[in-house]
Amino acid sequence: MSKEILRPASLKPIPNTFCPGCLHSMANKLVGQCIDELGLKHKTVVVMSVGCSTMGLRFWDMDMVSCAHGRAPAVATGLKRTQPDTFVFTYQGDGDLASIGLAEIMSAANRGEHFTVIFANNSTYGMTGGQMAPTTLVGQKSTTTPKGRNAAVDGYPTDMCALLSTLKAPSYIARCALNTPANIRKAKECIKTAFTYQLEGKAFSFVELMTNCPTNWGLAPLDTLKFMEENTIPNFPLGVFRDVEKGV
Amino acid sequence: MAKMLLKGNEAVAEAAVRGGCRFFAGYPITPQSEIPEYLSARLPEVGGVFVQGESEVASINMVYGAACSGVRAMTGSSGPGISLKAEGISYLSGAMLPAVIVNVSRGGPGLGSIQPAQQDYLQATKGLGHGGFRLIVEAPHTVQEAVDMVYDSFELAERDRNPVFILMDGCLGSVMEEVELPPMKELPARPDWALGNFTGEEREPKLISSIADEEVVELLNKRAAMLQQGWAAKDVKWEEYMLDDAEYVCVSYGTSARICKYAINELRKEGIKIGLIRPITLYPFPKKVLHDLDYSRVKAIIDVEMAIPCQMVDDIALQVMERAPILQYGHSGGITNKNEETAAAIKALIGGLNK
Amino acid sequence: MKNAIIFTGSGGQGVMSMGIMLAQSAVESGRHAAYMPSYGPEQRGGSAKCTVIIDKDEIVSPMAASGGVLVAMNNTAYKKFIGELEPGGILLYDSTLVTVPIERDDITAIGIPSAALALEVGSPKVANVIVIGALIALTGIVTPEEFQHSLDKKFAKKSDAVRAMNAEALKRGIAAAQK
Repeated sequence: MSKEILRPASLKPIPNTFCPGCLHSMANKLVGQCIDELGLKHKTVVVMSVGCSTMGLRFWDMDMVSCAHGRAPAVATGLKRTQPDTFVFTYQGDGDLASIGLAEIMSAANRGEHFTVIFANNSTYGMTGGQMAPTTLVGQKSTTTPKGRNAAVDGYPTDMCALLSTLKAPSYIARCALNTPANIRKAKECIKTAFTYQLEGKAFSFVELMTNCPTNWGLAPLDTLKFMEENTIPNFPLGVFRDVEKGV
Repeated sequence: MAKMLLKGNEAVAEAAVRGGCRFFAGYPITPQSEIPEYLSARLPEVGGVFVQGESEVASINMVYGAACSGVRAMTGSSGPGISLKAEGISYLSGAMLPAVIVNVSRGGPGLGSIQPAQQDYLQATKGLGHGGFRLIVEAPHTVQEAVDMVYDSFELAERDRNPVFILMDGCLGSVMEEVELPPMKELPARPDWALGNFTGEEREPKLISSIADEEVVELLNKRAAMLQQGWAAKDVKWEEYMLDDAEYVCVSYGTSARICKYAINELRKEGIKIGLIRPITLYPFPKKVLHDLDYSRVKAIIDVEMAIPCQMVDDIALQVMERAPILQYGHSGGITNKNEETAAAIKALIGGLNK
Repeated sequence: MKNAIIFTGSGGQGVMSMGIMLAQSAVESGRHAAYMPSYGPEQRGGSAKCTVIIDKDEIVSPMAASGGVLVAMNNTAYKKFIGELEPGGILLYDSTLVTVPIERDDITAIGIPSAALALEVGSPKVANVIVIGALIALTGIVTPEEFQHSLDKKFAKKSDAVRAMNAEALKRGIAAAQK
């Protein structure tokens, strides 16, 4: 028995330009598969953020808007409110969403805006060269924490799922990781649930995808997966934080 | 239609709705808060959307999103808020999105004061954000003119695929005067560049973005330069008041220009030959009328603003080219110019010149 | 500006609504009017001020520095703004609340005990309508009928009692000025 796995139609048939081993490409593929399976390619506007995620502007084969750093949830608010029947999702990294765009993400979630947020968290500012992100682990080195993140002055990694879970309006909040086949399968389920909730008219849905950055972590791709298992995931517990259907 | 007594901010908000505005996002700031207050009730009545943004930054980005839908979108603020919106205004212009931005300006710099002033001329005409983009900047001097400008500003923005900026001072926001409201406009079809696909038909995807390959960004900058040349040729607006025989020429915009008219009426009674050039578009600036004045007759130019120092003075000087002295008068920081005081001050300036 | 009327008092005395009602009434009666709420340092400390310009011609500029009529609803307002009344102008003041001596001799000063009369009519809230009654009786800027019409519109959704009280206040103000 063989199964043919094709590139999602919602992604252009061109090579991506992410670094070798970068899980952004996996995240894009999973989102693309869900878009295809739900038949959303021609009903979607992708709201793009700033960072490595911006490279999606080259790959996605759907209507797209690129936004200022951190402002994707505000732009998505303006879009979705003026065309409620269009499927809208933002795709944001951790510097974009959890630092410069913290006000926008929290406020959009608090208003219960009817779009979905895909949040790729790799604990670093990849595009600008590996500076400390709000999600950088304590002790983890970056170009602005050469001796490692020092909790005494830099604070602790920001847990967006926990923060968002304090709000009443969101219908779905989940954190997944893309480091093992099992976690990847689970991530796709979560993305699909989030998308389905939007289609059903439910409020704000949010999926955090723990990813890696071989280039800026200074690790071989396979070693990043191990690092995630041993360091990142213990700091960012996986799971479904909110699911209105299941009373979570 | 009969004239009604309306407050400037509310009249402008209603004019926006009648001009086709169907999305407003804003953040409370004095002295423009009546605009979002009014629209929060009014927009839903016409199927429009009002969102109170969590910040000025978010509000302008919501406008960016709504503009992507091809919906006529607007935001309003005052100086400190416009500074925060600078990012979004630059992105709107960079992404070629139409929108209307109203500044009901107050005293500055910094938090300044909540009282009216005209201290945002330089910001509006030269520094609305990074990257060197420009917007058409219009400055009304009566509530009626503000209504008419806002009413037609959406078409102007759509024509150029560039935001339009309305600079009205706080006096105009809070004054109540007679206004004739124009009729409700029919909404245009969604522009072909708008995102979203209501039919679900298969078509090529569209992209709205201010980031592109360098060659494309430069091409867009060249387009903007051509646009600006077109504005300078066709869109400059100004008013001349008692200018034909004027030996003294006031240059003034907004509420200050009305005060100048009062002063001119008074000074003319005393035989002083004085007139006014009132820029209606601050950008493009009405260069020609200033350049072509008969400087064998004109003894002085008097720049009157609610700004210290006056901010229009460099644009004026570029046209006067030292053919006449340029004097300045005005208050700032929220102390407003007044009719009688301005008449007396201009008279004193002229007197000083003739000593 | 001779055609400017400056209303002054404290927050809660209905100073701003006096200005708006008068301007509204003037426009509805075919005149031109502009209403400018006060801006400037004087607005702090709970004082309220607005300026209304009414003319048969269009208003060139609403930014009057002084006026031909000053309405002062209490001592603080009187002291602060008496300098903005032009020589030969009319000072109309609430004689219940303005208790300091009126020292200018180049003006006509008329005191109306509007706060006290308002209590007789039934509510301290109608003191401002009493003052407007006196103002229109003194200046003829609009007729009592024209102003009554504006009052009716403003209070169209209020109870008959409120409307009757305001009508009575207007009459009392007119009568007080004619004394």
